[in-house]
Amino acid sequence: MKRRPNYLAGLGSLVWLVLIGLPLYVMLAATLQSRSDYSSNGPLSWPKHFTLSNYTQDFSNGFGHYFLNTVLVTAAVVAIVLLLIPPLSYAIVRSQGRTTTGVFRLFLLGLAIPSQAVIVPMFYLITKAGLYDNLIGVILPTAAFSLPVCALVLTGVMREINSELYEAMAMDGASPARTFFQLVVPLSKSGLSTIVVFSALQAWNGFLFPLVLTQNEPSKVITLGLFNFQTEHGIDVPGLLAAVVLSMLPIFIVYLFARRALVQGLMGVGGK
Amino acid sequence: MKKRWLPRAVAGSVVLALGLTLAACGGGSSSSSGSGSFTVLVYGDASNKVEKQIVDTFNKTSKVKAKLQTIPGADYQTKLQTIINTKQAPDVFFNWGGGSIAPFVKAGLLLPLDDMIAKDPALKSDFLPSVFNGAVLDGKSYGIPMRGTQPVLLFNNKKVLADNGLTAPKTWDDLLNAVKVLKDKHITPIALGGGDQWPTLMWYEYMYDRMAGPSLFDKALGGDKTAWDSPDSHAALDKLKQLIDAGAFGTNFDSVKYTDGGSVALVAQGKAGFELMGSWYYSQQQQDNPDFAKTGLGYSTFPTVSDGKGDQSDIVGNTNNYYSVLKKTKYPDAIAQFLKLQYSDEFVKAQMAIGNLPTTTNTTNFLDTAADPAYSKFQYDLVKAAPSFQLSWDQAYPQSASNAMHTAVQQFFDGKLDADGFIKAMQALPTS
Amino acid sequence: MTTTDSPRVEKRRPVPRAGAGRPGRRSGASVARPGLAWAAPATLFFTLFAVVPLIMVAVLSFAEWDGVDALSFTGVDNWKTLFHDHVMLQSIWLTLLTTVLGVVVQTPLSILLGVWAAGKQRNRAVLSAIYFIPLLLSATAISILWRALLDPNFGVPSQARWLFGDGNLFGHQSTAIGVLIFVGAWQYTPFHTLIYQGATRAIPQVLYQAAAIDGAGRVRQFWSITLPQLRTTMVTSMILMVVGGMTVFDTVLILTQGGPGTDTTTTPYYSYVKGFKDFQFGYASAIALILVVVATIISLVIVKFSGYDKMRSSSEGL
Repeated sequence: MKRRPNYLAGLGSLVWLVLIGLPLYVMLAATLQSRSDYSSNGPLSWPKHFTLSNYTQDFSNGFGHYFLNTVLVTAAVVAIVLLLIPPLSYAIVRSQGRTTTGVFRLFLLGLAIPSQAVIVPMFYLITKAGLYDNLIGVILPTAAFSLPVCALVLTGVMREINSELYEAMAMDGASPARTFFQLVVPLSKSGLSTIVVFSALQAWNGFLFPLVLTQNEPSKVITLGLFNFQTEHGIDVPGLLAAVVLSMLPIFIVYLFARRALVQGLMGVGGK
Repeated sequence: MKKRWLPRAVAGSVVLALGLTLAACGGGSSSSSGSGSFTVLVYGDASNKVEKQIVDTFNKTSKVKAKLQTIPGADYQTKLQTIINTKQAPDVFFNWGGGSIAPFVKAGLLLPLDDMIAKDPALKSDFLPSVFNGAVLDGKSYGIPMRGTQPVLLFNNKKVLADNGLTAPKTWDDLLNAVKVLKDKHITPIALGGGDQWPTLMWYEYMYDRMAGPSLFDKALGGDKTAWDSPDSHAALDKLKQLIDAGAFGTNFDSVKYTDGGSVALVAQGKAGFELMGSWYYSQQQQDNPDFAKTGLGYSTFPTVSDGKGDQSDIVGNTNNYYSVLKKTKYPDAIAQFLKLQYSDEFVKAQMAIGNLPTTTNTTNFLDTAADPAYSKFQYDLVKAAPSFQLSWDQAYPQSASNAMHTAVQQFFDGKLDADGFIKAMQALPTS
Repeated sequence: MTTTDSPRVEKRRPVPRAGAGRPGRRSGASVARPGLAWAAPATLFFTLFAVVPLIMVAVLSFAEWDGVDALSFTGVDNWKTLFHDHVMLQSIWLTLLTTVLGVVVQTPLSILLGVWAAGKQRNRAVLSAIYFIPLLLSATAISILWRALLDPNFGVPSQARWLFGDGNLFGHQSTAIGVLIFVGAWQYTPFHTLIYQGATRAIPQVLYQAAAIDGAGRVRQFWSITLPQLRTTMVTSMILMVVGGMTVFDTVLILTQGGPGTDTTTTPYYSYVKGFKDFQFGYASAIALILVVVATIISLVIVKFSGYDKMRSSSEGL
């Protein structure tokens, strides 16, 4: 279909581009110049002398280590979600009876439990379990709080598997386990990628649990590193913003090379 | 859709997770003080290098090792209180004495240090008595002074003052005049990190002491709520209002913070003339703006107020910092050795070098070795001569009061509360 | 949410929705079905780390605990205090206000951007790639970025006095709320744009072709085809915005710390302050419970609107 260009929409999208792009530009420009250049030139100027010292300095301030911690937390959370949710959704979709309905309701209501609301008892439980200031103490609640959305998304996807296919598997005498691995998992790939993307972002960007449940350098994750950096050397804006850039770098790389998977995954959270 | 990355991602993350569990378990057992070490928890800021040095010195000779942990300033008190009654509690921790350790003493968590002192009297006698007593509760000693005394001073940018024909203000009228002159030159007269709230509180602490002397606050802290509604209290608030209305702090102080270095930079770059801050301001400027700290940073006491009833040489601030010891520690003897280092010559010199002022009796021997001997002498004489050294209000009140106190302090400054509203808010604070 | 008109599903094969006219339970007997054991691990895990803490919140709301002394039960004291605590009552109002403003700002923006980005033109794809970058940043990072950018003396306001005046954005309630709404929109609009983009692409082209034949212009088409077709997506997106908006925490902590005074102290932030700053864990739990109740009501609305429950019962007979 031939359409004339929509100038109004084009203009609007350009305005939005400025709103999104300008802060990103300021951020990037700031990180590439020295502190004194930044404060004398102001936030809007492009660096005259390029330097990567802000980044190297962040690494020597422990960001490499925070990075590794965050990777570990993210990987563990994704692993837990992938181990727990597909069987759960399979059971919800395929098993009969009130119990699984009840289980599904539990997870639906779980959507309504904000992590902020349970932070006090979570703190109590984690300290009693001796997991305070330990990455495991961050992983477990982070994983638990990404379960409801993941359950919802994957259950939705699994429902769309044609029941004739199950019957065909049953004809072959397949056990639930074989049905699960040969039919359900391969046909739920879009849903699986969604829950991987969702839980990974949750874990990578998680802040409240690390804030309350960890304390020392060895167990610090990158969001907390950013937060502390701000309260300790906040006026070092280039260094601070370099840390912000570092915190998004891995996801940005994924975005560059697997944009489609990431975007589709996020769309999945919205139900598409 | 091509999704071949998915199985690999799954496998990868499972392997990583397993590795992590093992690693974390390993890490856990090594940090749980298996073979002779105790943890020392300190407020994280520019002074930490001295604590690191002292710990290293201690570990060179001791079999039981000390391990230093720091929590960044803003979160220190919060984190401390959340962990102090758990397994993860430190053995030795930094505090401000007085109200900051009272709840822990009440809960029976702290080790009275009197036995240690009996064995080694220097743990007490080597400190100035007024300072040592800051951590004595119910007749028992719960803290050994560390770091130094931190009076609040009025800092200035020497160049800004000189360029405008001003000198460090001696009286309240001098200050009002300086405010007027700087404001006319479009320089923010006084930098204030209002976003942090506690820097604002310092103005009240000094004003109340100048106008009423220390007794008003002591009464209020003792539970006498009428103190806040006394004529002296109203007079102090009137004076503050006068200063605010004169535009002393500019208009955007609530968006400025001290903790992110904003107000510090305003003074260093000559965009503001003054800043009221604890003596640690020196080491902060030294870290952020070394050249300015060396040549451009001026300081004076809080100005005198002619119609005030208080002694005009009183000071406010943090009397001192202390190390307290938890009862549950397995190594009281090693800790006693560690605490001894807090009055060693090495400690005193190291603190002096970063602008802190220890309150040991040997301090005077080393005043000349300080980073800025004049600055250290100035403080030392000030503290020695002051009839009263008021502990910061938010440290003197119970922790549960500090948030409401800070809110009221900020709201009076930005005009959301009038004097009566402020007084009501202060009366509503819990006192014990 | 899981509608059959999704292009991906259509590619696979159309799925019969309801179980109408199927053999139902009788044939189910021959199909091997997963037992409860399949659901047990996730359920146990979730119970332990979310449901148990939730029950503990309820219990703690009747107690006093400062983390140091032993916990003591104080009956309904916390609840009595709560309903006379003007900061608490104001916090609920603020939470609702910021949530509603968030929805009002983000929804039209993300619909327009989503519909625009759904177009196949090359420049749109490139621009969309930039639009979605905020998605990659954590709330912490975004808040820190904006706090630095909006510093009155060293940030953008210092170079744009004509727009920002003295730059005292964090010193007035209206501007502080404005900052929270703006940063929230900056952070979340890309996500919702993405949802609308996906939904718009799923609208069958025939509808537009038919409308074009009828001579409907672009604007008419938008109002009479695009918007009605996006209705379910709007519900989903708005509900996500509401639940997200009710629980905003990082942004408040880093940008305003609830200030000036208590002017931006929302309920989640107030609960955190009462717990981890004032050490009134019991009172903090009571506040948290209020938050859970409100969020539960909203979640029940989700369930009703999205029809998840109905879907469950209609597939029961499979």
